[in-house]
Amino acid sequence: MLLETRGLVKTFGPVRALRDVSFDLQAGEVHGLMGENGAGKSTLIKLLTGLNRPDGGSILLDGRPVSFDSPRAAQAAGVAAVYQEINLIPERSVADNLFLGREPRRFGVLVDRARMVEEARALLRRYRLEIDPRRTLRTLGLGLQQLISIARVVSLGARAVILDEPTSALSGAEVELLYGVVEQLRRDGIGLIYVSHRLSECYRLCDRLTVLRDGAVVASEPTASLPRARLVAAMLGREQVAAQKDHAAAHGAQDGPDTEAAVALAVEDLSWRHRVRNVSLQVRRGEIVGLAGLLGSGRTETFKTIYGAEKPDGGTVSVAGRRIASPRPSESIRRGLAFLSEDRRSEGVFAQLSVAENLTAAVLPRISRFGVISRRRRDDMVRRYVQSLGVKAAGPDAPITSLSGGNQQKVLIARALCTEPDMVMLDDPTRGIDVGAKAEVHRVVRGLAAEGLGVLVTSSELEEVVELSDRLVVLDEGRVTGGLDTAGRDSDDVLAILAGGAAGTNAPAHGAAS
Amino acid sequence: MTAAVPGGRIAERGAPQPAGGRRLSIGRLSIDWRAQSVYVAFVALVAFDLLVTPGFRNPTVIRSLLFEAAPLILIALGQSLAIGTRGIDLSVGSVMALSSAMIGLTVDAGQGLAIGAGIAVGLACGVLNGLLVALLRIAPLISSLALLVAARGLAQALLGGARVDLPFGGPIPALGQMAPLGIPVVAIVSLLLAAAFAFVVRRTLPGRYALFVGASRTAATLAGHPVRLTLAFVYGLSGLLAGLAGVFATARLGAADANYIGVQFELDAIAAAVIGGTPLSGGRISTLGTVFGVLLLVVLDASFIMNNVNANYAQILKAAFIVGALYLRRGAA
Repeated sequence: MLLETRGLVKTFGPVRALRDVSFDLQAGEVHGLMGENGAGKSTLIKLLTGLNRPDGGSILLDGRPVSFDSPRAAQAAGVAAVYQEINLIPERSVADNLFLGREPRRFGVLVDRARMVEEARALLRRYRLEIDPRRTLRTLGLGLQQLISIARVVSLGARAVILDEPTSALSGAEVELLYGVVEQLRRDGIGLIYVSHRLSECYRLCDRLTVLRDGAVVASEPTASLPRARLVAAMLGREQVAAQKDHAAAHGAQDGPDTEAAVALAVEDLSWRHRVRNVSLQVRRGEIVGLAGLLGSGRTETFKTIYGAEKPDGGTVSVAGRRIASPRPSESIRRGLAFLSEDRRSEGVFAQLSVAENLTAAVLPRISRFGVISRRRRDDMVRRYVQSLGVKAAGPDAPITSLSGGNQQKVLIARALCTEPDMVMLDDPTRGIDVGAKAEVHRVVRGLAAEGLGVLVTSSELEEVVELSDRLVVLDEGRVTGGLDTAGRDSDDVLAILAGGAAGTNAPAHGAAS
Repeated sequence: MTAAVPGGRIAERGAPQPAGGRRLSIGRLSIDWRAQSVYVAFVALVAFDLLVTPGFRNPTVIRSLLFEAAPLILIALGQSLAIGTRGIDLSVGSVMALSSAMIGLTVDAGQGLAIGAGIAVGLACGVLNGLLVALLRIAPLISSLALLVAARGLAQALLGGARVDLPFGGPIPALGQMAPLGIPVVAIVSLLLAAAFAFVVRRTLPGRYALFVGASRTAATLAGHPVRLTLAFVYGLSGLLAGLAGVFATARLGAADANYIGVQFELDAIAAAVIGGTPLSGGRISTLGTVFGVLLLVVLDASFIMNNVNANYAQILKAAFIVGALYLRRGAA
């Protein structure tokens, strides 16, 4: 056994990040480590690489107990991690980066450039990376930089390598290169822990899969004996649905009750980089459509591309029957499309400003005359929405940061609503708010649909999406892979679709048929 | 703000109240001393000078201080708006010099024209800076640094390194001398513009957009704000004000001089804005605080001179004073 943990325990304050985690990695093996956010994957990586110390349990390397007090010590012993963020020097050459700190020398002082470039070339060729080692690292794509990071740690003597979400930054071609690198590592007898949210990749690459949930191992099996359905169920914590996997997918093509209502949002063949792939979907007036998908399935990217915050590479978006010709947020707002970002702190609130300013941020021209903002119209608007959404604030001039998370979120929802949209898109509207506020947000969302708006919503909790929406559109790796009416169903059915993955891939976007 | 100090009036109203600052509550009056430190420091310094500094009570002193302050107020206003967008404008001192050079070149064709030329070249510089920041996404620190070097160089080239003396009569010398009731006209113009500026920042779309962009550029984009247009406006306005400041400084000097006008003024403008309550982190701005920041620095300079402090030591003391003022402000809104 190359690397092994026995009964690892780690707590951060009151949070038990890892509970009795036993995990092992063999030489020449690719071992997938999976789990949703907060499952404990990063904590485990931090313990393995000496960034944190375990509170209990042990780590064994080659069968001997080890204790790393720093990533450097772990690296010296042969355990290294390659993270999403590259920690190389972008302004230096590929060869410089590969040999940073251990350059081949001449007479002990001068760097032997020629030899360094030659050795770098050999190293790259070994992993079938056709890159000129003299190129500046920055000129390569992020994905290639990541592959060079891998080459570097292995050439430094790492025998157990942890790839933390290696493909979240890779393009399609780069993913193929990564597969080549991984195959070579396997042949070299290097053990690989592969952390990724992309199921198809894990199934293609990994020999074994271990699933963490809430800090504990909930499944650990050879890939061949762990079907997708059970894997997803284990990740989300609903093992019992595994058996009924294809049951729900069969129901994917039924239409909802209000097919006669006008279309509020129509998306056709929308694409953005590799993250949103030919997405088509429709939302009718009065309908709440849930966007379901695992983490990394492209939910947020889809929202942002529809909204025009990311420039689509192709496809069209129409709101209330009118096409948005030049996709950008200001144009979307003008056409009646509103959007609530999942990232309240950095993409939502203006922390330095008041409740009133935050609430009216998207409608300033409408409450102005000749460029001068009308205090009266602003305060009227604020009063109306504070009342109707039940925002608890000391007053309109109170700083937004003095409000609780739930109330801040209501202010942001109000910001979206006061643009008087025909269609609202809510990306995880209940993230980070307490249970009571959650229920109120649900009430608001249902109210919007009842007033005839189209709503497209998602959540990091599958149960919530199912509970809230009339109909689901299932997203997997940037593609629409299925649809489902949610009336009278629970999340188990949806899980089956998510788990079905490839099985339901060819189902057309629901609603597009009508 | 229910503060009894003048800070509550023109100071940015939309800014949240400081949370947990050191407060003194008297009935319904609640004052955060740290947020008001610029006013406190100004009053303390003036009191000190009245008691100690020889000749400070002479009414001509206030007149000459206001002449000094007028151009600095203008560029500090532009600066505070740039800082409010989480940017900076290092070019203002050099743009003043370029404005001065334009006056020197065109003054023979008529003084009104020369004033217009000075202001116009300032606006042009500001718009160029704004386009670099907004369209090419160059960091404001870099683009305005480039302009700092280029505008000064161009100004010196235009005048061939020489000083061009202005005629004794006409509107420009009048600007440099007229002071009804001991208050210089340029100071009155600067204060009126400061009031207009406060209105623009508090109540108009471009002013509000500037602060939204400074508070969170991503959130502003998602809220549909015209982010790039706003940045172009902000730097254009800063350039325009610097152009006018160049006119004032040239009028006061009585000559166009590319080597003298506006040297290191950008540093005083930044210091005044920040001391006055416009944090470098953006999203917030205090117009009145900026004006008082300028007055504080001008009085400070005068205090050193009038007490015969060696100019080198005066620089060090001034730096220490600025650091002290910022220290008092830490954590305040």
